[in-house]
Amino acid sequence: MAQQQMTSYDRRMHALMNRTEAAPFRRSAARRRAVVCAHIALTAGAVTAWLATVVGESGWGVLVMFGLLIPWCVATGILNGTTRGLLELRPRALDERQRAERDRVRARAQQIMLWLLLAAVVGTGVAGFAGVEAEALVFQVMFCAFVTHWLLPLWVAGLSVRDEPADEFTDEAADALA
Amino acid sequence: MSEQVHNRLAVVRAERKVSRQSLAEAVGVHYQTIGYIERGQYNPSLDLALKIARYFGLPVEALFSLEPFRPLTDELYGRDQETWRSSR
Repeated sequence: MAQQQMTSYDRRMHALMNRTEAAPFRRSAARRRAVVCAHIALTAGAVTAWLATVVGESGWGVLVMFGLLIPWCVATGILNGTTRGLLELRPRALDERQRAERDRVRARAQQIMLWLLLAAVVGTGVAGFAGVEAEALVFQVMFCAFVTHWLLPLWVAGLSVRDEPADEFTDEAADALA
Repeated sequence: MSEQVHNRLAVVRAERKVSRQSLAEAVGVHYQTIGYIERGQYNPSLDLALKIARYFGLPVEALFSLEPFRPLTDELYGRDQETWRSSR
Protein backbone atom coordinates (compact mmCIF):
# COMPACT_ATOMS: atom_id res chain seq x y z
CA MET A 1 0.00 0.00 0.00
CA ALA A 2 1.42 3.34 -0.99
CA GLN A 3 0.15 5.22 2.07
CA GLN A 4 1.79 8.49 1.07
CA GLN A 5 -0.14 8.62 -2.19
CA MET A 6 -3.54 7.82 -0.70
CA THR A 7 -6.13 10.58 -0.78
CA SER A 8 -8.63 11.16 2.01
CA TYR A 9 -11.22 9.39 -0.16
CA ASP A 10 -8.90 6.36 -0.42
CA ARG A 11 -8.41 6.32 3.35
CA ARG A 12 -12.17 6.57 4.00
CA MET A 13 -12.90 3.78 1.54
CA HIS A 14 -10.09 1.64 2.96
CA ALA A 15 -11.50 2.05 6.46
CA LEU A 16 -15.02 1.31 5.19
CA MET A 17 -13.93 -1.88 3.43
CA ASN A 18 -12.09 -3.09 6.53
CA ARG A 19 -14.92 -2.62 9.01
CA THR A 20 -15.55 -5.60 11.24
CA GLU A 21 -19.37 -5.64 11.40
CA ALA A 22 -19.61 -8.33 8.71
CA ALA A 23 -16.90 -10.50 10.27
CA PRO A 24 -19.32 -13.30 11.32
CA PHE A 25 -20.35 -13.73 7.67
CA ARG A 26 -16.81 -14.30 6.43
CA ARG A 27 -15.58 -16.57 9.22
CA SER A 28 -15.90 -19.82 7.29
CA ALA A 29 -15.94 -20.90 3.65
CA ALA A 30 -19.52 -22.19 4.01
CA ARG A 31 -20.73 -18.79 5.22
CA ARG A 32 -18.91 -16.98 2.43
CA ARG A 33 -20.46 -19.35 -0.13
CA ALA A 34 -23.90 -18.70 1.40
CA VAL A 35 -23.44 -14.93 1.08
CA VAL A 36 -22.34 -15.27 -2.56
CA CYS A 37 -25.32 -17.55 -3.32
CA ALA A 38 -27.69 -15.09 -1.60
CA HIS A 39 -26.22 -12.23 -3.62
CA ILE A 40 -26.62 -14.17 -6.87
CA ALA A 41 -30.24 -15.00 -5.98
CA LEU A 42 -31.01 -11.37 -5.07
CA THR A 43 -29.40 -10.15 -8.29
CA ALA A 44 -31.34 -12.68 -10.37
CA GLY A 45 -34.57 -11.66 -8.63
CA ALA A 46 -33.96 -7.94 -9.13
CA VAL A 47 -32.97 -8.38 -12.79
CA THR A 48 -36.04 -10.55 -13.46
CA ALA A 49 -38.28 -7.97 -11.79
CA TRP A 50 -36.70 -5.12 -13.77
CA LEU A 51 -37.05 -6.99 -17.07
CA ALA A 52 -40.66 -7.84 -16.20
CA THR A 53 -41.28 -4.13 -15.72
CA VAL A 54 -39.45 -2.87 -18.80
CA VAL A 55 -40.16 -5.65 -21.30
CA GLY A 56 -43.22 -7.34 -19.79
CA GLU A 57 -44.75 -4.02 -18.70
CA SER A 58 -45.99 -5.47 -15.42
CA GLY A 59 -46.53 -3.07 -12.51
CA TRP A 60 -45.55 -5.45 -9.71
CA GLY A 61 -41.98 -5.74 -11.01
CA VAL A 62 -41.04 -2.27 -9.75
CA LEU A 63 -42.24 -3.09 -6.25
CA VAL A 64 -40.33 -6.38 -6.19
CA MET A 65 -37.21 -4.67 -7.52
CA PHE A 66 -37.28 -1.95 -4.86
CA GLY A 67 -38.04 -4.57 -2.21
CA LEU A 68 -34.92 -6.48 -3.23
CA LEU A 69 -32.74 -3.41 -3.49
CA ILE A 70 -31.94 -2.96 0.22
CA PRO A 71 -31.09 -6.66 0.87
CA TRP A 72 -29.00 -6.57 -2.31
CA CYS A 73 -27.08 -3.51 -1.05
CA VAL A 74 -26.49 -5.20 2.32
CA ALA A 75 -25.25 -8.39 0.63
CA THR A 76 -22.97 -6.33 -1.64
CA GLY A 77 -21.55 -4.56 1.40
CA ILE A 78 -20.90 -7.89 3.14
CA LEU A 79 -19.15 -9.23 0.03
CA ASN A 80 -17.02 -6.10 -0.27
CA GLY A 81 -16.12 -6.41 3.42
CA THR A 82 -15.28 -10.07 2.93
CA THR A 83 -12.89 -9.26 0.08
CA ARG A 84 -11.59 -6.15 1.95
CA GLY A 85 -12.54 -3.99 -0.99
CA LEU A 86 -10.45 -5.95 -3.46
CA LEU A 87 -12.51 -4.70 -6.40
CA GLU A 88 -13.70 -1.40 -4.96
CA LEU A 89 -10.49 0.22 -3.76
CA ARG A 90 -8.11 2.02 -6.06
CA PRO A 91 -4.83 0.21 -6.78
CA ARG A 92 -2.89 2.64 -4.57
CA ALA A 93 -5.05 1.61 -1.60
CA LEU A 94 -4.15 -2.06 -2.11
CA ASP A 95 -0.87 -3.76 -1.33
CA GLU A 96 1.12 -5.95 -3.74
CA ARG A 97 -0.58 -9.20 -2.66
CA GLN A 98 -4.06 -7.68 -3.04
CA ARG A 99 -3.22 -6.29 -6.48
CA ALA A 100 -1.99 -9.73 -7.59
CA GLU A 101 -5.14 -11.30 -6.12
CA ARG A 102 -7.31 -8.80 -7.97
CA ASP A 103 -5.62 -9.65 -11.26
CA ARG A 104 -6.20 -13.37 -10.59
CA VAL A 105 -9.87 -12.81 -9.75
CA ARG A 106 -10.43 -10.74 -12.88
CA ALA A 107 -8.71 -13.33 -15.07
CA ARG A 108 -10.84 -16.13 -13.59
CA ALA A 109 -14.02 -14.08 -14.00
CA GLN A 110 -13.11 -13.34 -17.62
CA GLN A 111 -12.66 -17.07 -18.32
CA ILE A 112 -16.04 -17.89 -16.79
CA MET A 113 -17.67 -14.98 -18.64
CA LEU A 114 -16.36 -16.31 -21.94
CA TRP A 115 -18.21 -19.60 -21.42
CA LEU A 116 -21.35 -17.83 -20.20
CA LEU A 117 -21.38 -15.63 -23.30
CA LEU A 118 -20.91 -18.69 -25.50
CA ALA A 119 -23.83 -20.37 -23.72
CA ALA A 120 -25.94 -17.22 -24.22
CA VAL A 121 -25.14 -17.10 -27.94
CA VAL A 122 -25.85 -20.82 -28.41
CA GLY A 123 -29.01 -20.61 -26.27
CA THR A 124 -30.37 -17.64 -28.22
CA GLY A 125 -29.52 -19.35 -31.50
CA VAL A 126 -31.24 -22.57 -30.47
CA ALA A 127 -34.29 -20.61 -29.29
CA GLY A 128 -34.35 -18.85 -32.67
CA PHE A 129 -34.25 -22.19 -34.51
CA ALA A 130 -36.97 -23.53 -32.23
CA GLY A 131 -39.32 -20.84 -33.43
CA VAL A 132 -38.91 -18.25 -30.66
CA GLU A 133 -38.45 -14.73 -32.00
CA ALA A 134 -34.71 -14.35 -31.34
CA GLU A 135 -34.79 -10.57 -31.76
CA ALA A 136 -37.14 -10.34 -28.80
CA LEU A 137 -34.58 -12.10 -26.61
CA VAL A 138 -31.60 -9.94 -27.52
CA PHE A 139 -32.26 -7.16 -25.02
CA GLN A 140 -32.87 -9.55 -22.12
CA VAL A 141 -29.80 -11.64 -22.91
CA MET A 142 -27.63 -8.53 -23.37
CA PHE A 143 -28.84 -7.06 -20.08
CA CYS A 144 -28.21 -10.32 -18.18
CA ALA A 145 -24.74 -10.54 -19.76
CA PHE A 146 -24.01 -6.94 -18.71
CA VAL A 147 -25.05 -7.56 -15.09
CA THR A 148 -23.11 -10.82 -14.95
CA HIS A 149 -20.03 -9.17 -16.42
CA TRP A 150 -20.30 -6.43 -13.79
CA LEU A 151 -20.81 -8.67 -10.76
CA LEU A 152 -18.99 -11.89 -11.64
CA PRO A 153 -15.60 -10.64 -10.36
CA LEU A 154 -17.21 -9.86 -6.98
CA TRP A 155 -18.68 -13.37 -6.76
CA VAL A 156 -15.38 -14.96 -7.78
CA ALA A 157 -13.52 -12.81 -5.24
CA GLY A 158 -16.03 -13.76 -2.51
CA LEU A 159 -15.46 -17.45 -3.22
CA SER A 160 -11.66 -17.04 -3.41
CA VAL A 161 -11.23 -15.59 0.09
CA ARG A 162 -9.37 -17.90 2.46
CA ASP A 163 -9.82 -18.41 6.19
CA GLU A 164 -7.98 -16.04 8.44
CA PRO A 165 -6.18 -17.60 11.43
CA ALA A 166 -6.24 -15.65 14.68
CA ASP A 167 -3.19 -13.59 15.52
CA GLU A 168 -1.65 -14.82 18.76
CA PHE A 169 0.04 -11.46 19.28
CA THR A 170 -2.47 -8.66 19.13
CA ASP A 171 -1.33 -5.09 19.67
CA GLU A 172 -2.86 -5.17 23.16
CA ALA A 173 -0.99 -8.36 24.10
CA ALA A 174 2.25 -6.97 22.69
CA ASP A 175 1.79 -3.74 24.67
CA ALA A 176 1.06 -5.71 27.85
CA LEU A 177 4.19 -7.81 27.42
CA ALA A 178 6.42 -4.85 26.51
CA MET B 1 6.12 -20.96 -12.07
CA SER B 2 6.74 -19.25 -8.74
CA GLU B 3 8.95 -21.23 -6.38
CA GLN B 4 8.03 -21.74 -2.75
CA VAL B 5 9.89 -19.29 -0.55
CA HIS B 6 10.25 -20.55 3.01
CA ASN B 7 10.22 -18.06 5.83
CA ARG B 8 10.69 -17.74 9.54
CA LEU B 9 8.46 -14.75 9.92
CA ALA B 10 5.99 -16.28 12.39
CA VAL B 11 8.80 -17.44 14.68
CA VAL B 12 10.61 -14.10 14.63
CA ARG B 13 7.37 -12.17 15.07
CA ALA B 14 6.42 -14.33 18.05
CA GLU B 15 9.87 -13.99 19.55
CA ARG B 16 9.75 -10.19 19.21
CA LYS B 17 6.08 -10.12 20.34
CA VAL B 18 4.98 -8.10 17.34
CA SER B 19 1.40 -8.28 16.10
CA ARG B 20 0.57 -8.79 12.44
CA GLN B 21 -1.15 -5.42 12.47
CA SER B 22 1.93 -3.58 13.79
CA LEU B 23 4.26 -5.27 11.32
CA ALA B 24 1.83 -4.64 8.46
CA GLU B 25 1.58 -0.94 9.29
CA ALA B 26 5.36 -0.66 9.56
CA VAL B 27 5.99 -2.16 6.13
CA GLY B 28 2.90 -0.69 4.42
CA VAL B 29 0.79 -3.75 3.64
CA HIS B 30 -2.55 -5.17 4.75
CA TYR B 31 -2.28 -7.26 7.93
CA GLN B 32 -3.74 -10.26 6.09
CA THR B 33 -0.74 -10.18 3.76
CA ILE B 34 1.56 -10.90 6.71
CA GLY B 35 -0.56 -13.96 7.52
CA TYR B 36 -0.44 -15.11 3.89
CA ILE B 37 3.36 -14.80 3.87
CA GLU B 38 3.68 -16.70 7.17
CA ARG B 39 1.57 -19.56 5.84
CA GLY B 40 3.55 -19.70 2.58
CA GLN B 41 0.49 -18.71 0.56
CA TYR B 42 2.15 -15.62 -0.83
CA ASN B 43 5.77 -14.94 -1.76
CA PRO B 44 6.65 -11.33 -0.99
CA SER B 45 8.40 -9.12 -3.52
CA LEU B 46 12.06 -8.37 -2.93
CA ASP B 47 11.04 -4.87 -1.89
CA LEU B 48 8.64 -6.15 0.78
CA ALA B 49 11.05 -8.86 1.99
CA LEU B 50 13.75 -6.22 2.48
CA LYS B 51 11.35 -3.93 4.34
CA ILE B 52 10.37 -6.76 6.70
CA ALA B 53 14.03 -7.68 7.26
CA ARG B 54 14.88 -4.04 7.97
CA TYR B 55 11.99 -3.78 10.46
CA PHE B 56 13.41 -6.67 12.47
CA GLY B 57 17.01 -5.53 11.94
CA LEU B 58 17.94 -8.88 10.39
CA PRO B 59 19.51 -9.86 7.08
CA VAL B 60 16.87 -10.91 4.58
CA GLU B 61 18.28 -14.46 4.40
CA ALA B 62 17.58 -14.86 8.12
CA LEU B 63 13.88 -14.53 7.36
CA PHE B 64 13.47 -15.87 3.83
CA SER B 65 15.06 -18.82 2.08
CA LEU B 66 14.55 -21.04 -0.95
CA GLU B 67 15.45 -24.04 1.25
CA PRO B 68 13.39 -25.05 4.31
CA PHE B 69 14.77 -23.60 7.54
CA ARG B 70 16.19 -25.89 10.21
CA PRO B 71 14.44 -25.60 13.58
CA LEU B 72 15.90 -22.74 15.61
CA THR B 73 16.74 -25.09 18.48
CA ASP B 74 18.90 -27.17 16.13
CA GLU B 75 20.73 -24.09 14.99
CA LEU B 76 21.23 -22.85 18.55
CA TYR B 77 22.36 -26.13 20.06
CA GLY B 78 23.97 -27.66 16.96
CA ARG B 79 21.75 -30.69 16.94
CA ASP B 80 21.09 -31.98 13.44
CA GLN B 81 17.93 -33.65 12.20
CA GLU B 82 19.40 -37.16 12.01
CA THR B 83 20.57 -37.09 15.61
CA TRP B 84 17.18 -35.84 16.70
CA ARG B 85 15.31 -38.54 14.78
CA SER B 86 17.57 -41.33 16.06
CA SER B 87 17.18 -40.14 19.65
CA ARG B 88 13.37 -40.53 19.52
